[in-house]
Amino acid sequence: MLIFTILTPVVLGAFIPFIRFKDRKQMNMYSLLSSILTSLLVFWLVFVSAPSEKLTLFHITAALPISFGIDGLGKLFLLIISVLWPLTTLYAGYYMEHYEKQKLFFCFFTICYGISLGIASSANLITLYMFYELLTLITLPLVMHDGKPTSIKAGLRYMYFSLGGTALAFIGLMYIISYSPDMQDFIYGGIFTWLAPSNSLRFAYLLFFLGFGVKAAVFPMHSWLPMASVAPTPVTALLHAVAVVKSGVFAIMRITWYIFGVGLIEKSFAQYIPLLLAAFTIVYGSILSVKEQNIKRRLAYSTVSNLSYIVLSVLLLNVQGFFGAMQHMVYHALMKISLFMASGVYLLHGASNIRQIKGAAKSMPFTSAAFMLCALAIAGIPPLLGFQSKWTIGLASLSLPAPYPVIAVISLLISAILTCIYLVVPAFNMYFGKPSEGIELHEKDMRALAPIVFIAALALVISLAPQSINGFLSQIANGTM
Amino acid sequence: MSTFSLIFAIVLPLLGGIVLAASPALNQERKTRNIFVCAILVIELLFCAMAAIFSDGKIVLLFRFSEALPIALKADSLSLIFSNVMAWMWCISGFLSFEYMSHEKNEREYYAFYLLTLSSLIALSFSATLVTMYLFFEAVTFLSLAFVLHTRSKEAIASGIKYLIYSIAGATMGLLAIFFLARNTSTPYFVLGGALNANLSVSSDTLLKILFISIIGFSTKAGMFPMHGWLPSAHPVAPAPASAVLSGVITKAGVLCVIRLIYYSVGPNFLRSTWVQAALISLSLITIFMGSVMALNEKLMKKRLAYSSVSQLSYILCGIFLMDASAVEGSFLHLVYHAIIKNGLFLCAGVIIYKTGIKSVDEYKGLGKRMPFVMTCFTILSLGLIGIPPTGGFVSKWYIAEGALIHPHFEVFTWLVPVILLISALLTAAYLLPPSIHAFFYSGDTQLCDLRCRKNIYIALPLTLLSVAIVVFGIIPTPFIRVFESLAKLMN
Repeated sequence: MLIFTILTPVVLGAFIPFIRFKDRKQMNMYSLLSSILTSLLVFWLVFVSAPSEKLTLFHITAALPISFGIDGLGKLFLLIISVLWPLTTLYAGYYMEHYEKQKLFFCFFTICYGISLGIASSANLITLYMFYELLTLITLPLVMHDGKPTSIKAGLRYMYFSLGGTALAFIGLMYIISYSPDMQDFIYGGIFTWLAPSNSLRFAYLLFFLGFGVKAAVFPMHSWLPMASVAPTPVTALLHAVAVVKSGVFAIMRITWYIFGVGLIEKSFAQYIPLLLAAFTIVYGSILSVKEQNIKRRLAYSTVSNLSYIVLSVLLLNVQGFFGAMQHMVYHALMKISLFMASGVYLLHGASNIRQIKGAAKSMPFTSAAFMLCALAIAGIPPLLGFQSKWTIGLASLSLPAPYPVIAVISLLISAILTCIYLVVPAFNMYFGKPSEGIELHEKDMRALAPIVFIAALALVISLAPQSINGFLSQIANGTM
Repeated sequence: MSTFSLIFAIVLPLLGGIVLAASPALNQERKTRNIFVCAILVIELLFCAMAAIFSDGKIVLLFRFSEALPIALKADSLSLIFSNVMAWMWCISGFLSFEYMSHEKNEREYYAFYLLTLSSLIALSFSATLVTMYLFFEAVTFLSLAFVLHTRSKEAIASGIKYLIYSIAGATMGLLAIFFLARNTSTPYFVLGGALNANLSVSSDTLLKILFISIIGFSTKAGMFPMHGWLPSAHPVAPAPASAVLSGVITKAGVLCVIRLIYYSVGPNFLRSTWVQAALISLSLITIFMGSVMALNEKLMKKRLAYSSVSQLSYILCGIFLMDASAVEGSFLHLVYHAIIKNGLFLCAGVIIYKTGIKSVDEYKGLGKRMPFVMTCFTILSLGLIGIPPTGGFVSKWYIAEGALIHPHFEVFTWLVPVILLISALLTAAYLLPPSIHAFFYSGDTQLCDLRCRKNIYIALPLTLLSVAIVVFGIIPTPFIRVFESLAKLMN
């Protein structure tokens, strides 16, 4: 059943170029239905009958099985993806209208869904690694969709960075194999509990971190992400705010909590180097974001910064930190995808610069309200989402030895102020600024408006009733699920 | 039955080649000749498979130079692996030749030498003594020279001479060890683990130096630094299907000789953890890195692929020099995968030249729209060479790296080997993927004419077979692994 679910979008997507659709609408409908079908399958898997045992599909070699299983963290990631994917597909139907080669776009977009599900439901490191590589390749055509030189350059950079990252992870993988030849299944608490901590294992962890850190856009491996924002907006929204980058974060969570384990990394260079990198990225990403005038690139830098919140929180290496990381993973996904979608609507009407969206609220009240809400939430204005997760992360960092709590908290606060400058100020300008001339905005198309408003509303509901998901998250963080 | 199929596997293409060269009747029409060649190549597959099925490990004595110098053949598992891989690749490339060569001159000569070279390669893989091996090694060099010289252009002749000089020099260096081993082994035949005498006629230090020189000599065919210079100039000047077998198959002859020398004559124990091993691993690592960098700097597609072969073959050699069961197993796997991939890539490049005349990587822009089928195959095979799971290249590199990690004879190689492998994998991505990317994602104007490669069975069948093979064998490598694992364990 699980494998069937992963295969559904892959197969349905692969068929798209070969089906003769009557018109564009029919194709959009087809891809929308396939993603809804997949999501329903995922919901059924998660809520009704989660397979309790892992399924081994085949063995590359005796020591390298490709196997799948769903545990708590997997469930969380599955849910994030499967809620957002149909919504973005709907949005893509609106956004891609003016693009060529739509068939190919929807083909890869739908296949990509399956690959992301594969990442979420991998039961061991080698399976995760395989899907991780596949994700790089399958998203490459999406990034370079319009075939312009800048897109190709961005795609190439993305590819080199990602492949370079997985190469580092590969070395780490070899290390793990040499320590524990037939045990790479994910187990909460790590698989090396029987080993005394050693520096070479810590070094392996560092390799993994740097490797998977590419997709999580940790400094100095972040520069592909802002470049990749040349991709069509549905791709930037879903892949570069959720699926791809979150799978980087997801992989880091897996290696930290499910492979190496806290005891091994704690209070050593393997914890502190990544921690400092993440803290630096938080501030650095925000600063770059303030300087950037292009809306999508600004949001991309903001993603760089916010992803490092999650990474930082994972590296605090306590249950509360893990909890906060997952919280921010969910929250940031909701907030950023909605922001990106809104910016895509502005972009389609010719407003690519942050100054050009001044006064937009008059002609697009709902989109602008969603933008405002999410901007406030990301900046961390209580009681909205971003505040809750930052609060958890801040509290969790206090248990670290000095000076790390100070570094963590200060970087969070600086970034919060900068977020206000780069997101909340433009959002206010939408309401109180003078509309710039020559740009006519409207929001008549429900295919764009519905997902934006729905996701923003979802964000609002979770802000007001956080206990709805907190119970679930804390169970995962404690390893009881 | 075993003897029969073994002899016939060698004699059939030999006779075929001679008949083809001699008989005017066969050459009057292209179709007759193509059917003749195709039949021989397919029957050859059958004979090689039969040799494998009925193998009983008996030695077939052909004749004796002297009492101590028998010329003999034997079908052991190593020779069966090599001969079957070679026969398959030969058949697939041959099939594409039928289309490609219709635009070239001297077809008759080409096909005659195509069959003769196959015969000498099969004989090489079935050789049972060092001298037999040496004999056929030279034969392969001379016969395959015809491919390099095929166009008769100035460049071709210059590369041909380079090829000849390098190969002869290499073989002569190889001969050095054969002389000394003739005195110092208990039997002239290949024995697993080697048959080195306890009392050596020379000091073991001298023997080590000799072996070092000889192994470098045999590695010439596999393009290992410092004897790699001929490969990038000789392979690309041949017609594409011939470049494919030169790069994908004939280079493996060098690997075979190295394996025979190390594992079947001297024994790995004699070399393990000596300076020779360290030096050889270092040389192979240098080659891996250097080949990739040079491929990256090269603009002509076929030349780029040739440099890539330099690098990839040293993966195989590196695994063999590591002298560890899983590394050797990885080498065998990489040998099979690289044969499939490099054959396929050269054929793709060949079809592109044949259809459009495009040789330089820069001109690949927009090619994906004109030849989607060929470029798709090209991309799949490239992914295999980079080693992205689930394609084949991943599995083989995995084993080589594992072998380096688990059984270090030298501390430094435990991390250096995996690191170099990975850097080279990245470089491979850098020199193979951009052509594909530019081919598919070029927004400028391209002539939108369908070149109909998919409909042409001579082009479609070989390329489809190879691309499917690399994915299927990547997902299900178990049948190979079962054979290779047991052999690799026996060897170490």
